[in-house]
Amino acid sequence: MRKHLRSRRALGIAVASAVAITLPGCAREVGGGGDGGSGGEASPGITDDSITLGITTPLSGATAGPGTCTVAGITAYFGAKNAEGGVEFGDGKTRTVEIEALDDAYDPQQAAANYDQLKDEVFAMTAGLGTPTNRAWRDAAIADEVPQVLIMTGDPLFSDAEESPWQLGFVPIYQNEGEAFGELLASSGQDHKVAILSQNDDYGEGYVEGFTSAIEGADNIEVVEQLTYEATDTSVDAQITQLAASGADVVFNAMSQVPLVVSALQKAQQLNWKPSWFLPSNTSSPGAVLEPGGGAAFPGIYSVSFAKAPASPAFAEDEDVKAYLAALPQYGNYPDPPAFPHCQWSWMVGATLEQAFSEMTEPTRENFMEALRSIEDFQAPLMLPDTTVNTTEDGQPAVSTVVVQKYNGRGYDTVESFE
Amino acid sequence: MARVVEAPASSAASSFRRRPWVRRAGPLVLLVVLVALPLMLPEGANDTLARIGVFAVAVLGLNVVMGYTGQVSLGQIFFLGLGAYVTAYGVTNDWNIVLVFVLACLVPAVVGLVVALAAARLGGLAIAMVTIALPIVGVPLAKRLSDYTGGSQGLSARFTDAPEGTGLYDDQWQLYLVFLIGGTVFLLTRNLVRGRYGRAFAIVKGNENVASSMGISPYRYKVLAFTIASLIGGVSGFLYMVVVQYTSPETMSFGHSIELLVAMVIGGAASIVGSILGGAFYVVVPDLTNAIDPSLTALLQGALLLVVLFLLPGGLASLPRALTRGRRRSRAGRGPAAPPTTPSSTTGSGTAAEEPETERQGHA
Repeated sequence: MRKHLRSRRALGIAVASAVAITLPGCAREVGGGGDGGSGGEASPGITDDSITLGITTPLSGATAGPGTCTVAGITAYFGAKNAEGGVEFGDGKTRTVEIEALDDAYDPQQAAANYDQLKDEVFAMTAGLGTPTNRAWRDAAIADEVPQVLIMTGDPLFSDAEESPWQLGFVPIYQNEGEAFGELLASSGQDHKVAILSQNDDYGEGYVEGFTSAIEGADNIEVVEQLTYEATDTSVDAQITQLAASGADVVFNAMSQVPLVVSALQKAQQLNWKPSWFLPSNTSSPGAVLEPGGGAAFPGIYSVSFAKAPASPAFAEDEDVKAYLAALPQYGNYPDPPAFPHCQWSWMVGATLEQAFSEMTEPTRENFMEALRSIEDFQAPLMLPDTTVNTTEDGQPAVSTVVVQKYNGRGYDTVESFE
Repeated sequence: MARVVEAPASSAASSFRRRPWVRRAGPLVLLVVLVALPLMLPEGANDTLARIGVFAVAVLGLNVVMGYTGQVSLGQIFFLGLGAYVTAYGVTNDWNIVLVFVLACLVPAVVGLVVALAAARLGGLAIAMVTIALPIVGVPLAKRLSDYTGGSQGLSARFTDAPEGTGLYDDQWQLYLVFLIGGTVFLLTRNLVRGRYGRAFAIVKGNENVASSMGISPYRYKVLAFTIASLIGGVSGFLYMVVVQYTSPETMSFGHSIELLVAMVIGGAASIVGSILGGAFYVVVPDLTNAIDPSLTALLQGALLLVVLFLLPGGLASLPRALTRGRRRSRAGRGPAAPPTTPSSTTGSGTAAEEPETERQGHA
């Protein structure tokens, strides 16, 4: 009996397969979406009353902290907007914005799989964190003509409109940060000797490139020593000792490792070397870096930023900050005070997308990209004065302006000049 | 073969499977299904199947060294990454694709051989320690050699778009490539572990002293198994580039090596089918947990792992055996009329090489 059943099943499969081979054409009608973009036909993920956005970002693993923030901010922003009825689009319709977020655990392979899963359901991909995880499906997004916009990576490739027609980065690229400090230093009017210590990869090189381009031609700035270290090194004591001997009064320190920055600050104090420091935005946290490192011992510690710090007393009464802190637990599923700036950035991504939506006259991805690339000097909520969203400049991410800030013993204040 | 007593059902099944026309038609039916499947399925399913194929091959390589030969290897992802980097580098430099494929197999195999020549001299857990070093060294190495690897930004290589004239979609073409290359690897590996080498591997796994007394050099066979595993890892790296088309240092991060190991144990150690199931587990579970709740993926995956290991210690591949055993036990409990069965008798119908292995995995 069982034998009979098996052979029947085998026969069935064989027949089914034979039929399938003779009729390959009719199997695929739905797939391959994304082309057929010309004309006013709506792209996937958008209807007359709603639009869906996709995110792939690390929600588990080592980068889960900032990754969770990249989802929480934008979800809170549009959650609050949806509660008011939705977002008004340029074609006169009001739509609610849904967010579909998937975890990629910072694994490029999983990020690409998430993209494959989302691309036919969502109108655009946005806000995801990570360079490799965004690069993994960049080519596919270009081929499928799916927007991959306002993503959280300092990789300049995503902001090159020629190479990446369907992409746009959000946060400043590494060069922007180095450049901002270089300009401040060059305009100080005093003579400075600079020592440079940078991580030996694209991160460190980006910072140094921005800095050196800004001080080019400035007679008052002299780079007296330039050293590198490897991201996997456990100590930079040797480099700090060598730099201290150079007699520099400013250290440009392009390091991405928090423990190394702390030990670098400590080593300099041991050597009784008290220069001013520049630290990148992601390794300049007052609580995690400067307090353990004894930052108050130095004449000045500078970093850059473009977002208001919600925990700072200076912004306690700020309307933007209040609305943000209220929405984050209510709509963003993020009950704690935001631990990473990515929460604020993601909120700004929401505001920037709304700005683009308001200029969108057709419900298509092409039209959206046009609208997105035409935002000029938009002051998103939570942005510091003198920083704006500007998407019209090729080669630059949406936010390319940063302000230099100086450590005041507890937090940071924006400074106009180097003192 | 200690097939003393057999349950009627399984003997019927095995005699059915031994019939000549079934033996010939079985693979043919499988082939037809494999040819038809990519044409019938939607794009998303094809992508998932292709990724399952990639990691099934990687798990298969791990199975050769660990499941069949019993040597703990925690470095398999390094060979996948190496194969992927060789492929990406070759493709971006416009080398002939066949040459790229051969190099993606040979380079990891040679590296594996060199590592194994040293590592296999050490006993037991020392090999595991040496293999741990591979992905730990691999990630910073890939970042430093940025002229060849693209540094932490990685390398993209899009070389598997469906050729003009085939009328296929890209995902269909990629799946065919995975079926063709992965299928060949599976076939060759199956023949390997069922033949002379497979028996030697099993004896080395069982007892190295016995192996030596039979004239089988444990050292030589460990090196061989490790080299083959590295080669298969390289093939899976090539397939990784076929499907994912991008590699970065993250590809070979140490965590993935553990995930591969988990996938092998879950699928079923020392089992060809288990390797496929392991690959499916590796790929499908993250998608599944994402569908349930993206913010709880790690927790759900851990829970699922515990459940599977608790219910099926021999892995998913032992599910049919567990089912027949359960059915027989319930039948035996029902009345004295049930045929007497010895619990230790092997009821599977595998061949000689596989049988002692499947028997042992229950205790692993």
